[in-house]
Amino acid sequence: MGALEKAFYSPVGKAVSAKAGLKEPPRLRRGRTWPDGPIVLASIGGGDLASRTMRLLGRATEEPVVDEGESAPGYGSRIGALVVDATAATRIDQLEELRALLRPAVRAIERSGRIVVLARPAAGDWEAQAVARALDGINRTVGKELRGGATATLLEVAPDAGPGDLVSTLGFVLQGRSAFVDGQRWHVDAANQAQDPLAERPLDGRTIVVTGAARGIGAAIARTLARDGARIVAIDIPPAGEALAAVANEVGGTALQLDITAADAGLRIASHVAQRGERIHGIVHNAGITRDKMLVNTDAQRWASVLEVNLAAQMRINEVLLDPATAGGIEDGGRVIGIASTSGLAGNKGQTNYAASKAGVAGLVAAMAPDLAARAITVNAVAPGFIETEMTGRIPFVQREVFRRSNSLSQGGRPEDVAETIGYLLDPSSQGVTGQVIRVCGQNLVGA
Amino acid sequence: MSVPPAAGAADRPVQHLDAMPGMAAAFARALAPSRRDEARLPRHAVQVSGYRQDPARLAEYSRVCGFTLRDHVPPTWLHVLTFPLHVHVLGDRSSTVRLAGAVHVSNSMTLHRPVGVQESLDIAVHAQNLRPHRRGALVDLVGTITVAGDVVWEGVSTYLASGMSTPGEPEEAERPPWEPLVPHATWRLPGDLGRRYRRVSHDPNPIHTSRIAAKAFGFARPIIHGMWTHARALAALENRLPASYRVHVDFLKPILLPGPVGFASTAREHAIDATVTSRDGSRPLLRLQVTEAP
Amino acid sequence: MTHNAVVVGGNRTPFAKAGGPFAQASNHDLLTAALDGLVARFGLAGERIGEVAAGAVLKHPKDFNLTREAVLSSALSPATPACDLQQACGTGLETTIYIANKIRLGQIESGIAGGVDSTSDAPITVSDPLRRTLLKANSARSAMDRIKPFASVRPSHLKPQAPSVTEPRTGLSMGEHQALTTERWGISREEQDELAAASHHHLAAAWDDGFFDDLVTPYLRVAGDAILRADTSVEKLAKLRPAFGGEHGTMTAGNSTALSDGAATALLASEEWAAAHHMPVLAKVVDAEVAAVDHPGGDDLLLGPVAAAGRMLERQGLTLDDFDLIEIHEAFASTVLTTLKAWDDEDYCRGLGLDGKLGTIDRARLNVTGSSLAVGHPFAATGARIVPTLAKLLHQRGAGSKGLISMCAAGGQGVVAILEAV
Repeated sequence: MGALEKAFYSPVGKAVSAKAGLKEPPRLRRGRTWPDGPIVLASIGGGDLASRTMRLLGRATEEPVVDEGESAPGYGSRIGALVVDATAATRIDQLEELRALLRPAVRAIERSGRIVVLARPAAGDWEAQAVARALDGINRTVGKELRGGATATLLEVAPDAGPGDLVSTLGFVLQGRSAFVDGQRWHVDAANQAQDPLAERPLDGRTIVVTGAARGIGAAIARTLARDGARIVAIDIPPAGEALAAVANEVGGTALQLDITAADAGLRIASHVAQRGERIHGIVHNAGITRDKMLVNTDAQRWASVLEVNLAAQMRINEVLLDPATAGGIEDGGRVIGIASTSGLAGNKGQTNYAASKAGVAGLVAAMAPDLAARAITVNAVAPGFIETEMTGRIPFVQREVFRRSNSLSQGGRPEDVAETIGYLLDPSSQGVTGQVIRVCGQNLVGA
Repeated sequence: MSVPPAAGAADRPVQHLDAMPGMAAAFARALAPSRRDEARLPRHAVQVSGYRQDPARLAEYSRVCGFTLRDHVPPTWLHVLTFPLHVHVLGDRSSTVRLAGAVHVSNSMTLHRPVGVQESLDIAVHAQNLRPHRRGALVDLVGTITVAGDVVWEGVSTYLASGMSTPGEPEEAERPPWEPLVPHATWRLPGDLGRRYRRVSHDPNPIHTSRIAAKAFGFARPIIHGMWTHARALAALENRLPASYRVHVDFLKPILLPGPVGFASTAREHAIDATVTSRDGSRPLLRLQVTEAP
Repeated sequence: MTHNAVVVGGNRTPFAKAGGPFAQASNHDLLTAALDGLVARFGLAGERIGEVAAGAVLKHPKDFNLTREAVLSSALSPATPACDLQQACGTGLETTIYIANKIRLGQIESGIAGGVDSTSDAPITVSDPLRRTLLKANSARSAMDRIKPFASVRPSHLKPQAPSVTEPRTGLSMGEHQALTTERWGISREEQDELAAASHHHLAAAWDDGFFDDLVTPYLRVAGDAILRADTSVEKLAKLRPAFGGEHGTMTAGNSTALSDGAATALLASEEWAAAHHMPVLAKVVDAEVAAVDHPGGDDLLLGPVAAAGRMLERQGLTLDDFDLIEIHEAFASTVLTTLKAWDDEDYCRGLGLDGKLGTIDRARLNVTGSSLAVGHPFAATGARIVPTLAKLLHQRGAGSKGLISMCAAGGQGVVAILEAV
């Protein structure tokens, strides 16, 4: 611990930091847990997708309190979540209806509560498109104003999407699995999904490949996906083999010691899977490295190694695994998950190479998604913000504390927060979510 | 070494030590009976940062306690690393509770993630939660181990300071009912076990090694360290433990050396119960429960 | 009903010099680590395997059930039975034969063969006289009787006895025995150093190729074989002083194996089990043979594999030319060289009761990924290191490729086996 870190945790330091508004961060609700308080359901303009999806989720809902006058009525007790169906909202005056719903709810929302707004992707006349964008502004701002670990989410749902297409997404957002996903907006397309309830073990019997699985976020991904029923193929470089073996044995999966930059990496993954008579349901390209230096000090070698490991390697592996002729490749209806980073989306000093690779991942999933839609393979990325790991533990203390605090939840995320979001994207019923980048960053103050 | 001045009540002063303190002198001090009988605790925490684990000592510890030597260390080993700070905190002038003579009655620890022997640890300990007991006062020594700011292990050791008083009414502790059982293992604890465990734990308390010292505290023979029994019981479960978990132990009766004891365990859904008993299983000596990490 | 016994794969710890990075690890720790890596590679966590057979040459009395104890510490199902088996340096191959035979007889469907040795964890025992004194004192009835026997204890009796690899009947160490053989067969220093250098170079190349990525799992932060010297050369080896055979001896620390720590395992199964469990099938165990020489009568201690290989090849109707790859355990460089010479010696082979000499081999087929001189030789582990290594090499060469394993062992014994790629 450095001198600064000591000073910070000393009582004087704590007193100073408390004055500066740095309170102990809220403890977040995590896992497959629902809000404690009632889920309040409201609709603007008569859309009923939210109510049909809530029924499919099997959760009871309550009527909203609407702020109509000066008196600002309250709920009287804490509410667990507010779900607003704004799919029919296209006029500016309808935004007032949203305000009237949000005001009492934001006041009454419990710790780790949820504000979820369903909307349509921007379409229609000028006003309708302006309103669609306005909803995002509201979402981002509500996310910043909410306290106690509560989050705000805006889901843009395609007009022909049904409750079966939305159930895994709304379930994820309301449950503790989305603890560190805040102020986000993403799309859910129509995918003709059956009206099945939320699965407890959506990955049961499915083979998921996780690279970089020996420790940190990768190990958390392996554990979380195994909890959801997945058969894990845990991959890491050979020198990390002992930790990798421990993870594989813990989750009852198999370990494959492999350098993903090897020319035959894709084939070796495929033959490992084919050997077991399986095909891959999903691959999580989690392995990544950093070689941080300011651009003026970044040489070709530092540049190349990061782009190679973080971007080029997974493209080569995808190419092999997505070939329908590859035994042990990715099955139709499969999933490809990349790991981007808020550093890539927003830029970060000293990380040009890393930002290039991670923004590249975001670009890659957007490009791949439409091409693979015909095979019902979805391609998405998650972009972690500040996650507490051994890797981030090496960041100098002051910088680390600043990173930790500079999001709406005033804390770093946990590896399982990233893992849960990946699990949601891997869920077969998340078919309508593709080409998206979901940030797991607690609504970082910087970033898109 | 410095003790910053105390600030607001919620903030605990932290005394940073440059190295792990030795225990022999602190113990000698602690043996001198406290003149007061009103229990008082130091408010500050002590912390040692950047502690490097000694793989050779871990190997010996594993052998004495029955663990297989792996890259990942047992949680009881992490407790052993915090122990000198227990002694140090209670050896402070502001403390009237002395560790020598205090009885370790229970221990809870949480391993938040596997901890490698090569990892550099920040170890902090403070005392809290002084509360009355019908035979004295109970106090919790809370240890926290962080690696790079991430809490990897937490431990709470509850000690009973006999004869000390603290305001309030003792809480009636409910003992879970006891049914005699048939042990499925017998451990024969050799006479030198206390000395062997002392070498790896560095706990100098002579009650574990010397008949005379043991007699002075009312035991016919030396008694084995509770934390050895805890570790041994955990080692017996080693291939059934998940990567992270919570383990709670109640130390019910001292175990005299040498002597045989019984052991039995039952796996339930999401939990493992284990008991160290008298050889015939009629009396419980230590109860252990492993549950999922919170 | 008989079955094919096939090698599914293997896993070992890296090997390291005695007293090195694994100095604190016991046989139990090392064997558990090797098993856990195997379990992870093949997804066997919680699985019940037919039987695990392994052993250690240097073993504490408390480790009487070493293998079973390691199974209990591993991620395998606790319902997996195990046995300890020991045939000196042949142990890891003998356990393979034992498991393969059970599989072929249909007694088990899957099994793990292994071996481990830690010369760092070697048992230190009391001397014989002291042991007898202690026994006498223990059985005495009166206090006086208990003390009396100690009057006969001499200071020298109190010296602890370190383990030795000395042949009980000749009093010679293995190196001293081999020095006699080396001299008798006229093996030159240069040949030995060349073989040693090749072993290091082959092993280094295999590591560079990632050949061991699915055969080795790191342990205690050691990721690769720690004895390996990729930069060694015949010139460098030529500078070393003789270790055996006097000042004009040709055997040095460079062309003899180092005392080592490590553990190795091989997963074997019936073809049916492997198919049902979607496991890879590298090679089948075709045949095996064990032979022994009369070394107390003056025979060359480490040439047991000559008769063993001769008898096995005659039984199979095979010649050395039929083998695509040959693995000869490098106890000493000169062991390999004398074995090759003896195989090609008409008189020597006829003297063993064989029909004639076995012939010569193409050196390009010998120990192609290095052997004990470079990897190290934790006694009981070596056989279980070679089996999966050779099986993988044969599999890469294609179905039908044959490989021969030859191992010398203490007591004048030789263990040999044939693998054939499936």
